[in-house]
Amino acid sequence: MNIEHMERRGWASRTFDALNALFLILLMLTMIIPFANVIALAFSSGMASMKPEIILFPKEFSVEGFGTVWNSLDLRRPFMNSVIVTLTGTFLHVLLSSLAGFVLIQPQLPGRKIMVSFILLTMMIPQDAMMIPLYLVNQDLHLINTLSSLVLSGMISGFSILLMRNFFLNVPYEMCESAQIDGLGMFRIFTTMYLRLAITGVATVTLFEFVSRWNMLSAPVLFINDSTKITLQVALKSMITDASATSGNLLITTNVRMAGILISILPLLAVYPFIQRYFMKGLMLGANKE
Amino acid sequence: MRLIRKNSILYIMMLPVILYFIIFAYYPLAKGLQTSFQEYKLMGERPYIGLDNYRQVIHDPTFWDALWNTLYIGGGILLAGFLAPLFIALSLNEVMKSWFKRTAQLVLYVPHLLSWVVIGGIFIFLLSPDSGLVNLLLVRVFGIQPVNFMADEAWARNIMIVSAVWKDMGYNCILFLAGIAGISPTLYEAARMDGATRWQQVRYVTLPQLMNTMKVILLLNTLGIFRIFDQIFVMRNPAIAGKVDVLMMYTFQKGIMEIRIGPAAAASFFVVLFTLVLASVVRKTTRFDEV
Repeated sequence: MNIEHMERRGWASRTFDALNALFLILLMLTMIIPFANVIALAFSSGMASMKPEIILFPKEFSVEGFGTVWNSLDLRRPFMNSVIVTLTGTFLHVLLSSLAGFVLIQPQLPGRKIMVSFILLTMMIPQDAMMIPLYLVNQDLHLINTLSSLVLSGMISGFSILLMRNFFLNVPYEMCESAQIDGLGMFRIFTTMYLRLAITGVATVTLFEFVSRWNMLSAPVLFINDSTKITLQVALKSMITDASATSGNLLITTNVRMAGILISILPLLAVYPFIQRYFMKGLMLGANKE
Repeated sequence: MRLIRKNSILYIMMLPVILYFIIFAYYPLAKGLQTSFQEYKLMGERPYIGLDNYRQVIHDPTFWDALWNTLYIGGGILLAGFLAPLFIALSLNEVMKSWFKRTAQLVLYVPHLLSWVVIGGIFIFLLSPDSGLVNLLLVRVFGIQPVNFMADEAWARNIMIVSAVWKDMGYNCILFLAGIAGISPTLYEAARMDGATRWQQVRYVTLPQLMNTMKVILLLNTLGIFRIFDQIFVMRNPAIAGKVDVLMMYTFQKGIMEIRIGPAAAASFFVVLFTLVLASVVRKTTRFDEV
């Protein structure tokens, strides 16, 4: 480290460092300024937020936008729907993917190879292209306009199963064998040993799934048209993109929209620190090839 | 047989997954394929009509527009979305102060975490002609007439590319940085011994060593081309629809909006076909399997 510093004292090198830092700061500003703008507008009064001005700090500070979006526009219900779908869906996704991942690490299991190909093959089918067929299946199962359709959408993925399998493979298999000799059932071994020892994996998959479920858009757009069952993203979408959006005779001012955006971001910001911690590890292990 | 009975609990653990994939992966595939050969009616018999649905799609000029839009926007995202994060990762890698490096990564990654509704909404707002930040800057600082970006066909596709690259920049950047972190330090030491400058270290050590990471990222991003939907669904509007409606948007319009399920199913299978072909082409050309 010190030697490197000595070498880099040359003026050309230092100029480069300065320009490089400047470049990165400008780049970060393209992220920071829009968000500062959004936050400032959300905390401004309705009138101030509609004026064509560059606002990076709240003007006429007020939280009326939050009140309007939450109560008058009733963002509460879509928010709760999103919470239900995200929590249930994520829980089931992690549980079922882990179970399958655990089964796949059993070396002696007859039929294991077939199961692996069965799962890998599902990863070859581009899920997004299956939009229309999935709609038909949900229709056949009478799942249209139910929150269950959203929980079921992407409830298990081959990617998560393989990711969990890779994490479980890091646990020495001898532990499973000796526990079996001690008379522990496979399910107990799974819950008491493997889930705990591969907690990084569980956390990684949970976070991935939580974020993608919270942000899920195409499934609710496809499966839900009952306004009491729509999710937060769908509610937000109609609020944001209808340029002259009015709800009844209520004009949606900019501060209201921005407040809606901020509310939808909050749960993600809450998990962000954990994502930082687990993200890298998860990617490294997940990228391991078969 | 004894082995199977002994392992019965394991099979039970696997059962939900098998059932799920049969109902929500294999069955839709079969059902979709079947529907693509049928005349879809809400009630009664659905007669088989051979390749009629496929023929309808092929003869629909909107389908070809959608394909071209997909290739343009998807290709742009693929190229710029590969080069920009690579450049930024190399730039970040030259930063010595670790707190600065960490902060930059943290900030750049945020947009990837947010939904397209949020990002699209912010872009629509920033680019709006009267109160958007970009136009306010153009007018006040540069004295240029405001541009109605989101209603201008000339800008539409490029805005889609820029916003998508901007959103996922930080994510792809972290993938590259992970690749860079995996390069053995002894290679750099050896290069320095030979008197290599910083640029030469990047050119002759980092870039060649990063080849495998690049291939993986390229392959993953290629498969994403045909998946673009959320972004367009949020950011499109009637004025620019013709320029930005991609293939998934086309199937959605046909199937859900116009309730012409047969052609929509046929279009879906074109998308599946394109994806598989593209994936195998990329595999071949990058010699992915030799990684």
